[in-house]
Parts: sequence; structure tokens; C-alpha cells
Amino acid sequence: MAILALAALSIGLSAVAIRRDRPLCWRFALPDPLSVNGKGRFSTVLDHRPEAGQAHAPAIVPREDGFSVLWFQGSAEAQPDVDIWGVDLQRHGDTWLASKPAPHLTRAGLGRAMAPHQLVVTLGNTIAHDGRPGHLLATVVSVGGWAMAAIADVAMARGGPVNARKLDLSPILNRSFLVKSPMLGYEDGSHALPAYFEMGPTFGALVRFDEAGCVRDRRWMRSRRAKAIQPMIVALDARRALAFLRDFDRSDTLWLSRTEDGGQGWSAPEPTGQYNPSAPVAALALGEGRILMAANDDAGAPDALVLSVSEDEGATWREVHRLTGPGALRYPMLRRVGDEIVLVHSTGGKHGIATHVFDAAWLAER
Amino acid sequence: MEWTGLAIVLGWAGFALASLWIGSAGASAAGGTVAALVPLLRRSIPVAGAMALLSPVGVMLPALALRDMAAAWGLPVMPFGTFEISVFLAAYAAFIASAMGLVPVDLYRLGYAPGAVAAMVLMVCAYGLAAGSLFLPLVAVAGQALWVARLGSSNWLDHVLHAALVPVAVVTLVLRVV
Repeated sequence: MAILALAALSIGLSAVAIRRDRPLCWRFALPDPLSVNGKGRFSTVLDHRPEAGQAHAPAIVPREDGFSVLWFQGSAEAQPDVDIWGVDLQRHGDTWLASKPAPHLTRAGLGRAMAPHQLVVTLGNTIAHDGRPGHLLATVVSVGGWAMAAIADVAMARGGPVNARKLDLSPILNRSFLVKSPMLGYEDGSHALPAYFEMGPTFGALVRFDEAGCVRDRRWMRSRRAKAIQPMIVALDARRALAFLRDFDRSDTLWLSRTEDGGQGWSAPEPTGQYNPSAPVAALALGEGRILMAANDDAGAPDALVLSVSEDEGATWREVHRLTGPGALRYPMLRRVGDEIVLVHSTGGKHGIATHVFDAAWLAER
Repeated sequence: MEWTGLAIVLGWAGFALASLWIGSAGASAAGGTVAALVPLLRRSIPVAGAMALLSPVGVMLPALALRDMAAAWGLPVMPFGTFEISVFLAAYAAFIASAMGLVPVDLYRLGYAPGAVAAMVLMVCAYGLAAGSLFLPLVAVAGQALWVARLGSSNWLDHVLHAALVPVAVVTLVLRVV
């Protein structure tokens, strides 16, 4: 009798859950075409080199009055003195002015904001949560190394984090999912998170959220031939998108997965033949099948960061600009900020952060 | 809810350790003391570390802890069968393998979907009815209630399963064989 009563209660609970659930939209939002009426400018607006230690994995956080750049900084990657640092950039006339680099998200502050309260011993790649303005998605480790990382949704205020919770992504103590690339939008205004799993088997993933910002679904980009991680997704139209993936092993090539149903299913990643020294790439849809990519794709100069444009949905690429030294330029991110494009990357082999701003006219000239 | 679950689990650990040396009454007092201290010490490194390690705690672990303590107090508890635990271990291993991408099917995904969760909970209730056991249906529906109330994980499977169940099940099986 008691079990039958529980079953009846369950049916009632299911009715509430099913009625509340909104089907996910699986049509990508496409950005407006970039205006080519700019002044043909390319300017380096930040070249941050800390006196000691590392600064790496920069991300762009668009704001109403400009943008912020966040990165992790400390004695070395995954060390317990690493915090998320940042600068705010604002346009003043023809120039962008950067604030002084300062800690933005600390381990101690994040630990206090965590619900439920828990230790945060290491911070890593952190990106903007496009679906929840004022929030960040941070890679956090409470126990162990990167394979034990989780992704935290962090609500930020002027003084630092005010609330944070780990995304529910894995039954293995909720471990081993990380972020790197920016989110992508859907037609209904929702956003999806490209993420990757790094415990033993490695693969890319696309994470969807419900209206409350909780994880509602996840889809995979798995390969038996490569440890494909850090998916960088570019929508080609409402249903088709490309995911460029780094091979965690050194196959020395960039990998590519495709979707033709809005991200519900992804093909097994295949090698593109494009050189890649096991480093993530950044890409940006320019519209009409054109894609801008920032990648370390020159086998003869793997430390150089090459900006390339594809006019045919990623089939072929044409170099438009090359950034070199000091040291290896890695971990690029590209984002549109107004009518301009922002490129960030680390410099000097994880020892600095550079930020460049350019417009479509500059690209068109090349 | 997570703190309540962690307090019960750590309280049970204190109870189990104390049981090695003292009787049920003393062990219960020790376990109760540990459980009471958990919310008070939640900002301390040991307790915050335990939360970091075990979160999301879910319903199953605390329920098993309460069940074990109830059995120690002599309350009627229907033990899991050896075959039942063996099947659970095999199924859980397959579930973890699917979550790690080792097989093409992602079973963990089902825990986000209301329709799939509805079916899974009713299947657990049907199993409980057939086996004559209230425990699993109770855990499944309690987990569903928390899931619908958006307390804890957004995946129902996190409420009713936990990675720590693997060592618990293995130790139980080994103790039965030995």
C-alpha cells in the first residue's frame, strides 16, 4: 500500500516536472553581419606581463560599456596561489583604455560563495556566462588535479563572487568537466556551453541549460582516434555548426566535428589536416559561410598565432595576419564587441596576456 | 539539504567507527555528536573538504546510513541480497562507463529529462512492489521530490546514486564472502 502511495506521489511529481519543462530550442542564433564601414584599424590595447609567475587562458567578457579580459595568474598553472585576474577596457574616442590588472575572482572568495560551502583549491579557465549576465563559468578544483575539475556558475558583484554552484554534469562526484571556449546562442535567446571531459577518456560536450540556469541536457563529440577537447563551435546556419577540437595527444592536427541538427548530434571528430600543436583555437562566424580563426597552425612556426579567414565554411583557409613572440602565443579567444572584433591570447609561453581590437574593414583590406 | 545529507553521512561514519569499540548506545551518541558538529563546522577545512569531495550528496547515501544505524538499533530492516548487490555493482559499472564516454549511450543524460525520470521512478516502485521492499521506492520518490523542488542536483540520478556506493557495495560483498 505504501509503495502504491509512493507511485501515485511520483506520478504527481512527474506531472509537475513535465508541465514545467520547456522543450529546448535547437536552432542556432546567427549574429548580424559585421559592418565593414570601420576605419580599418588593428590596435593592441593590452600587453600584460606579470613580474613573476604565469598569466594564461584569457577570456573576453563583453560589457555594455566595453569589455573585460579575465585570465588566471599565479606562480604556475594549477598551483594553489592562482586566482582569476582581469582588466576592464573602455573606448575613449579612438583608443581603448585598460584599467590596472587586478584580482577579479579569488579562490578564497569563491569558496565563501559556493553553495553548499566547499573548498576551492585551484582555479582555471574562466569564461563569461552569456546566458546569465553578471555570471561567470569558472573551472574549479576542490580535490586533486584538472581531471577532478568541475564547472562553477559564479554570480559576480562589484566586490567579487556573491553566489556560486557547480554545474551538475557528471555522476563521478560531479567531476572532470572544464570550459575554455565562449558559449553559443540559440534563436530563443538561450545559450549552450561548449565543455570537455578530461578523466581518462576525453571528449568534447555541448551543455544546455533550463530557464533556471540548471543543466538540462548534454551532448557529446567523441572520437576513438583522438582525445578531442576544448571544442570551439561556430554556427554556419540555424542547424549546422562546426566544432574545432584540440587533440590532447600530439596528433599534430586540428580535429573537426559537425552537427546538422542544431547540436543534438555531433559527428565523430575527424582530423582536418590543418597543423595544430595540441593547442586550442578560436573562431568567429563572419556570416555567409565566412569564418575567422586564430590558431597556431604553422608547423614551421608553432609559436606564432595566425589569423585566417575561410570563405567556404572551413574547407580552405587564407592567412590574413600573423602575430609573433615573445615566446609561444596560445589560448586565443575571439569575440565581437559592438562593431569590432576582440582577440586575446597568452604570450611568452603562459607568461603574459595580449589583447587586440580590429574591425571588419581591417579584415576586408587583407 | 546537502548539509543535512552530509551531517547524516559523517554522523554515520562516526557511529561506525565508534561501534568498533563501544556499544550501540555510545556509538549513536558519538555519531550524533559528529552530525551535530557538521553544520557548526561547515567552514572548517575538514568539513568543507568533505562537502567538496562528496557533493552532490543526494538521498541514497544518507538513507543507507540511517538504515544501517536503524539496523544496529534492532529495528526490522530487510537486507539487500548478495545477488541484488552484485547486479547493482555490474549495472553501476556500466552506468559509469557510459557517463565516461566508453560506450555510445549516455545513460546519465536521462536524469535531466522529466519523462525519463518519471519512467525510472515508476520502475523502481514496481521493483519495490515485486521485492516487497519499501526502501528503494522511498529513496527514488524522495529524490524525485527534491529534484522537482530544485533542491540539489538538476539530475535525478545524482539524488539516488553516488560514486561512494561502489566501495560500500564491494565491502558488503567481501564481508559476506569472508
